[in-house]
Amino acid sequence: MEWYWAFAFLLGMIIFMMAIGVPVAIAFLTTNIIGWLYFTGWDPDSILQVVDNSTILITRFTLGPVPMFILMGSIFFHTGLAIRVFDGLDALFGRLPGRLCFLTVAGGAIFSTLTGSSMANTAMLGSLMVPEMQRRGYNKRMSMGPILGTGGLAMIIPPSALGVLLASIASIDVGRLLIAGLLPGFTLAGLYAGMIALQLWWNPKGAPAYDVEPIPWSGKLKLVCTNILPMSFVVFMVVGFIIFGWATPTEAAAIGVFAVMILATAFGVLTTKAVVTSVDGTIRVAAMVFFILMNSTVFSQLLAYSGASAGMIEWATGFDVHRLMVLLVMFFVLLLLGMFMDATSMMLITVPIFFPLAGHLGFDLVWFGLFVLMTIEMAGTTPPFGLLLYVMIGVAPKGTTLFQVASAAFPFLVCDTILILILVWQPGLALWLPSLM
Amino acid sequence: MKGLIAAYNGLIQYMRIAAGILVFLVFILIVVDVLVRLVGLKPWSASVMVVEYALLWFAMLASPYLVRAKGHVFIDALTTLMAPGPRLVVEKVAYTICIVSSLIFCWYSYSVLHTAIVEGTLDVRAVDIPLWVLILPLPISFFLVAVEFGRYLIGVDTMYTDRTETRENV
Repeated sequence: MEWYWAFAFLLGMIIFMMAIGVPVAIAFLTTNIIGWLYFTGWDPDSILQVVDNSTILITRFTLGPVPMFILMGSIFFHTGLAIRVFDGLDALFGRLPGRLCFLTVAGGAIFSTLTGSSMANTAMLGSLMVPEMQRRGYNKRMSMGPILGTGGLAMIIPPSALGVLLASIASIDVGRLLIAGLLPGFTLAGLYAGMIALQLWWNPKGAPAYDVEPIPWSGKLKLVCTNILPMSFVVFMVVGFIIFGWATPTEAAAIGVFAVMILATAFGVLTTKAVVTSVDGTIRVAAMVFFILMNSTVFSQLLAYSGASAGMIEWATGFDVHRLMVLLVMFFVLLLLGMFMDATSMMLITVPIFFPLAGHLGFDLVWFGLFVLMTIEMAGTTPPFGLLLYVMIGVAPKGTTLFQVASAAFPFLVCDTILILILVWQPGLALWLPSLM
Repeated sequence: MKGLIAAYNGLIQYMRIAAGILVFLVFILIVVDVLVRLVGLKPWSASVMVVEYALLWFAMLASPYLVRAKGHVFIDALTTLMAPGPRLVVEKVAYTICIVSSLIFCWYSYSVLHTAIVEGTLDVRAVDIPLWVLILPLPISFFLVAVEFGRYLIGVDTMYTDRTETRENV
């Protein structure tokens, strides 16, 4: 079979099943079974290979950070430590125009260093900030935009569970990819703050200033010391341990859970209920990820076995176009897929195709991994089906339309694009920290 | 029949609890391992292997509950646009695919398990362990996953919740 028919057959089967609502993991499993049978001349023993490979692929120590990062974020939220960070930041901003928008970006960036979930970030920031913003007379654009932008930061700022997943599927170094997101993540937070300032300059009534009770400097210092600085201890335990090579990403993730539990104990908020709820949430999300992973990685092998991967790379590199043009095409394909699929699904479909191609074109795969994460983050806020848009609608006031949410997100998508251009121009922004490891 | 259903539901819940305990034990094991190393002692040589096994076991133990809790990621962009009648048909087709695939995987993983037991195959890692220890949860979990999708097929419940409802994800 020609590579393009094999490609169309396998991808078509996955997309068809996904379209009729078959869970992503089962869509991959079914395609693997049919695909391996077909390409081995209907040899039933080929399915034994599917079982063997699936088992080997998810029993890798490098996948350990997935449940650990999710557990760490869950405990952080369920114990109420997240709210304490917010209270600390709130005291620092004073009577600043658009203070709640800036608070969202600062809080979201800090949350991102402590959790790996965009959904949790957006839901938390949305439910916490939108009612307050509405009460203070902020318009919908100013109240929802920063939340949508900042919510996605969790995907690129370590610890990112999605980053671990991407690194595992693409067979790149988990630690290097996680650390690569640190500087670009904070640069993006800076761009978001700049965008808010620009929007305020354009329309000051969008986020009116209001009086806040003045807090003396000693009070502010105390809040910073009690509510914000201790969290940096957790961040250091995770990011620092990885950068300095004191622990593997899996070990650093478990140490991160340990650090959050110590903090929660110190603040007297670690309850059995919080731990049980966090563990239960963790098994739901992590088991789902592992179930998908065990099937999707076999799919990559199937693509290679059928000749589809090699044929596609040969075809794509046969054109006399600059590699940045190929990157641009991949960017738009990811954005297009993001209109219909969630982050995990689009990652599983594109990684077996895009990463070999990117490697062939000479892109650094850690850099490319970050590019994919950035684009997936953007796709999450792309209408009509970007998942974060729906999370936002879920927590926004009744009557909020998809159009209002999407248009509020637009300026922040521009910031994302600017960061991607900066990364293309200066790859060192992402690759400098991993080079120290 | 009621007793059987109660026992089955209990099994799913106990597997869920076992998965949670396993994740927590993995966390403790890794932390202890790192701390032991930091104080200059020799960590347990099998800890990496135990974590690797636990990753598969916890995912498999939680998998029937995952179906019950509607925790799987799926795309409903197209099905939500359909009229209720055709949508129901498409949903049933989707459930059937899930059941058939899970049962096929269950059968073949059972076959791998049987061979591993009969031939005494070892899984060579940091510590050699009989392969059947690794494979054991696969046929059981995939069978229960098929049963869970069967519940949806016969109409006990529907997997497809409202799109605007926030689903947990990475």
